[in-house]
Order: sequence, then C-alpha cells, then structure tokens
Amino acid sequence: MPLDAGDAGDVQVTGPRSRGERLLDVRDLRVEFRTRDGVARAVNGVSWAVDAGETLAVLGESGSGKSVTAQAVMGILDVPPGRITGGEVLFKGRDLLRMKEDERRRIRGAEMAMIFQDALSSLNPVVPVGDQLGEMFVVHRGMSRKDARARAVELMDRVRIPAARQRVGDYPHQFSGGMRQRIMIAMALALEPALIIADEPTTALDVTVQAQVMDLLAELRREYRMGLVLITHDLGVVADVADRIAVMYAGRIVESAPVHDLYRAPAHPYTRGLLDSIPRLDRKGHALHAIKGLPPNLMDIPPGCAFHPRCPAARDVCRTDVPPPHPVDEHRGSACHFWRECLHD
Amino acid sequence: MTEPILQVSGLYKHYPLTRGVLFKKRVGSVKAVDGVDFALGKGETLGIVGESGCGKSTVAKLLVSLERPTRGRIRYKGEDITRLSGRALKAVRRNIQMVFQDPYTSLNPRMTVGDIVGEPYEIHPEAAPKGDRRRRVRELLDVVGLNPEHINRYPHQFSGGQRQRIGIARGLALRPEVIVADEPVSALDVSVQAQVVNLLDRLQREFELSYLFIAHDLSIVRHISDRVGVMYLGRIVEIGSDEQIYGRPTHPYTQALLSAVPVPDPEAREGRERIILTGDVPSPTDVPSGCRFRTRCWKARERCAQEVPVLAVPEPLRDLGGAAAHASACHFAGVDHGNDRP
Repeated sequence: MPLDAGDAGDVQVTGPRSRGERLLDVRDLRVEFRTRDGVARAVNGVSWAVDAGETLAVLGESGSGKSVTAQAVMGILDVPPGRITGGEVLFKGRDLLRMKEDERRRIRGAEMAMIFQDALSSLNPVVPVGDQLGEMFVVHRGMSRKDARARAVELMDRVRIPAARQRVGDYPHQFSGGMRQRIMIAMALALEPALIIADEPTTALDVTVQAQVMDLLAELRREYRMGLVLITHDLGVVADVADRIAVMYAGRIVESAPVHDLYRAPAHPYTRGLLDSIPRLDRKGHALHAIKGLPPNLMDIPPGCAFHPRCPAARDVCRTDVPPPHPVDEHRGSACHFWRECLHD
Repeated sequence: MTEPILQVSGLYKHYPLTRGVLFKKRVGSVKAVDGVDFALGKGETLGIVGESGCGKSTVAKLLVSLERPTRGRIRYKGEDITRLSGRALKAVRRNIQMVFQDPYTSLNPRMTVGDIVGEPYEIHPEAAPKGDRRRRVRELLDVVGLNPEHINRYPHQFSGGQRQRIGIARGLALRPEVIVADEPVSALDVSVQAQVVNLLDRLQREFELSYLFIAHDLSIVRHISDRVGVMYLGRIVEIGSDEQIYGRPTHPYTQALLSAVPVPDPEAREGRERIILTGDVPSPTDVPSGCRFRTRCWKARERCAQEVPVLAVPEPLRDLGGAAAHASACHFAGVDHGNDRP
C-alpha cells in the first residue's frame, strides 16, 4: 500500500525558537472544493508555524494552494464550494476552526489581519478611504466617527501617504496603485494585530513602487514586532524579506527551510527547478533550465509524489509512494525520497 | 549593429482628452508616446522596459499599425510605413506580427486552435494556397511544441503556457521578419515562463527573426535582449547594449529601477543599497517641464526643469569609451558609485 499523506502528515516547519512566542500554528490543514466536475483537493495536509517578529514566506505557483491556505486560516474561504476537511489552526494556542463565528470575527482584524493583492477590488469604491479606515475603530473599539477619522489620518501618515489630512476624504479611485496598497496596509495595521497575512501584496505594483511598499511593510513589522506570513510566487521578494520559507506544490509543502539554506542548497527537485528557471538580473546566462510539463490538475493529482511526472530525478518509488516529510536538519524539511541526493547535487 | 530592419524616429502618439458629449471640447491630451527614436537590427532583440503607463505598449501598437502615430516615422527596410494604406499597408503588416500578453483574452474562445493559427491566411490568402493551410498549421503547432493532433481543440482546453504557444504560432504563420512581443510571458507561472522564453530563443535562431520584446520584468528582458531601451513617461531615457544598461547604467531612473528589482539571493540583501524613489509617476496628461523624471530624481537641479535632455551619449562620458559611453537622456548622467545617491 502506498503511504497515504494523511498518515504521514506533512513537513513541519519549525523555526529557531529564539524569536518569540508562537503566534500561529497550522497543523495538517486540508481543504477541498466540490465542483461539478469532481473534487479539487487544493490543500492536502499543510503544516507551518510563525512566531512573533518573524517573516514566513509561503511560496508557490498558481494552483499550489497557497492562497487557499491563507483563506482557510483567516476564515474567509468560500464555503461552499470550499470545505475544510481536516486539521487545526492554532492562534495563540486556540483552534480557530473550532471557534464560533462571532468569536472568530473579534480576532480577525484585531489580532490577525490580511492584505490582499488587489487593493482596488478590496476597497469599497463608494466610501471615502478615511471612513473605511475609521470603521475599524468604530466597529472594534466603539469610537465616535470623529475620533475614528482622526485615527485614520494618523494611520495614513504612518504608511506615508502624503498630505493625509487633505486626502482622508478621497475615494479609492483617486489614489494610485501604490497608494491604494498603502491604504490596505494601514487598514491591516489599524488595530495593531499580532499577525499579518499578506497575499501577493506587491504583485500588481510596478517594481519601484513594489520596493517602496515592501520596505514599508518590513519596517512596520519590525516596529510592531508582528508576525508576517507572505504568500508569493516571487523568489526575488522572498530572498529580500523572509526569514523562513515553505514551498508549496499541488497542495502540499514540499520543502521548508531558513531562507539562506534554501537558496544555497535546495533539498527538493521542485525548489531546485524553480531556482534554475528564473533569469537573473545580476548575471546573464544561456538557455534557462525550464521545468518540463505543467503543474498538475488538482482534481487528478498524480499518485505518489505529485511532482514525479516533471521531476528529472524520479524513480519507481516516486510513482507509488507519497514521500513523507524528511527532517534534513533541525530546521529544515523536505518531502522528497531522494532529498539527500538533491541536497548534495 | 547590423542594418536596421525597423527605424523609428520622432514617434509621438497623443490621445485627445475631451469634455462634453455633443460639442466635444479638447481639454488636453494623454501623451502616451512623446518622442521616441530607436532602430531594430536584423536578427536582433531589442528589449523595451518600463513601468505601467510609460507608453511601451503603445509603441508596440504603433509598430504593428494597430494605431496611427500623431507624428513621426516608422521605416521598415527604409520605407516609411506610417503613411501607407490599403494594399501597401497590408503587405507590410504581413512582415511585422504581434504576440500579445494575455493568452486568455487574445484567443477567440469559439474558434478551434486550427482556425486561430490559420486565421492570418484568411486575411493574407496569397501567403498559402487554400489546400495547403491545414498542413502548415500542423507544422506550426509542431514548431512551437504543441501536439499537431490537437488542431481541433478549443483554447480553454489548454493551459496558459500552451495558449501562449498558440499565440506565438499564429504570430509565425505568415513568416514575418519582425515579431513585436508585448509582455509575452508575464501572465505565466515561473516554471512555465522559462519554457516560453526558451521557445522564443529557439524560434529566433530558426527563422532569423528580429524581436521587439516589451516587458516590465528587467531580469527576463536582460536574458533575452541584445540591446535594451528604458522608457519613462513616453520617452526612452536610456538605450544601449545589455552590458551597458545593466552593468553601467548612467540615467538615474535606470539606476533606481535596477536597484529596486528583488534578486533571488538572500546573501545579497544585507549588502545591497536600494534607491527608493519617492512619489509616483506623473500623469501623462501633465508631463513635467524639462526632464520628465526630475520630480522624482535626487540629482535634479534648476537646469532639469528648463531644458529637455536629449537622448545621446553624454559629453563627459564620451571620451571614456567602454560600457559607460551609451545614449542617456540626463543632464547629469554618470556611472553610479553610490556616493551621490539620495
């Protein structure tokens, strides 16, 4: 019998514990989507944890399950068609998945907040940004509208929106993309949450603006000692800001490691393939080493290791047995039968 | 550089901004392309980089005659094509084809792959006799790495990367000499992006194509280009070989742009010094006087507000020779040593 992933669990991502208290602990999370054509298994036993003051990057391509994981953690998954079929999401030790909705709502926004990729569609187009920011204080803190607006101006100042006092009454469309993303960040920061989950926060932005926004986010994270979960497909952004990284493929974490270790010597062929397939600004190479084939259809995930049809190192066992999480060292894990060879290749 | 196949000089595209419904009053204009010059050599890849709104996509549309320029010339093998119409224009268009960014919206969902790739033959029947078209389409699918047996499938049955291959096959159908590719890989996943970039590389060698490769991703542009032009607010601010632009940029905007690109190497993050630009790109309806970058430039002085800098090899760098001596539209152009940064 091939080893079922459920029994094996997944690579437990655990960082050096020196940083601070454990904020969020996701354990063996499973999410599926029921569609007319069948069941799409989007998240298949994902575990990761993030401590206060730490940045964890969850890296994956489209369909890897990285955003669905974030939505399940935040409690904003579309149910149905989505369904959490297993696992725990422990926030400061308490399982969010077993909480009542109104209890969860108090945590969302106040203790953990999310930043989305597309600020324009996440903001209400017919409400001035100052009121949208201020609403956080009205709802969660019971402030008066007037006080809330004053706090909104402060926040807009914090995220360095020029002339905040004059612009607090402006509507989202009156701001540029970079400024709108700052407003999203301001909104996430409003109640000084312990944890922020940012889903592709700079993907829609130009590179010079992306640098501004990432800088701001890193600075605020340090200042407030927040935990940050950065969901992204961009290996460059990860290298710039993350402490640890979890690489997802077909709904699983295939490798997790401190960021320096992973870039120096990947322990999974998929990670290696990704690193080899990106052109580098700092050096000009010849042909790119593309990963052959396509990411799998989530309704029909290959048996054994989901990456085996695209893997240059695949052998018979990879076609039948789901690789269990192998501890590479104290802080690293790889879900590859042949992680040793990959690491020393 | 080899003999240019395309020569663009003094190219402008201004879109009128009007107010009122019945009596449209012209209240200004969007200066999408505002004086662009460059040449594309035979078999060469010229990369155009710039952020959104810099006018790079408008340049692409002008080159394939999807838009008519307000002013300026585009010469194809020495012939000015901006004033052509009718049959003469059609003949030129055959030779300059476009590959679009979005493989999801640029293919008609109701047409089969065979019809999509073969459509150029309907418009240019002289390119292939009717009886031979199916065979050619199969051949094209094979060339771009798709299964020719899938000729009767519809676009939705393909992944993003495969759809982009379909778009490329269509672009190749008429055996053009120039391909204008506007962000051809930016909608694709990292692992698939490399496949398409390698395909474009191979096709260039096989068919002796000249590419104008437009993208916002500086790393990809470096990988594929022989020369690179950097656009800002409707103009090229710096142009040169990939060594010159990436190794010895002399325009402050290029320097800032390059420093902002995240490098996939965590070892580099401590040592790197970023130039973080302040503010946003000004609106193309209200372009700053003099140098258009001056509102965000840390080197800007009075002269920058008064004089428009021309795109030429800067005087002080001329005698130096080497990589620093390339065209840069800045009054104070210079190699960045990190000592005059903001």
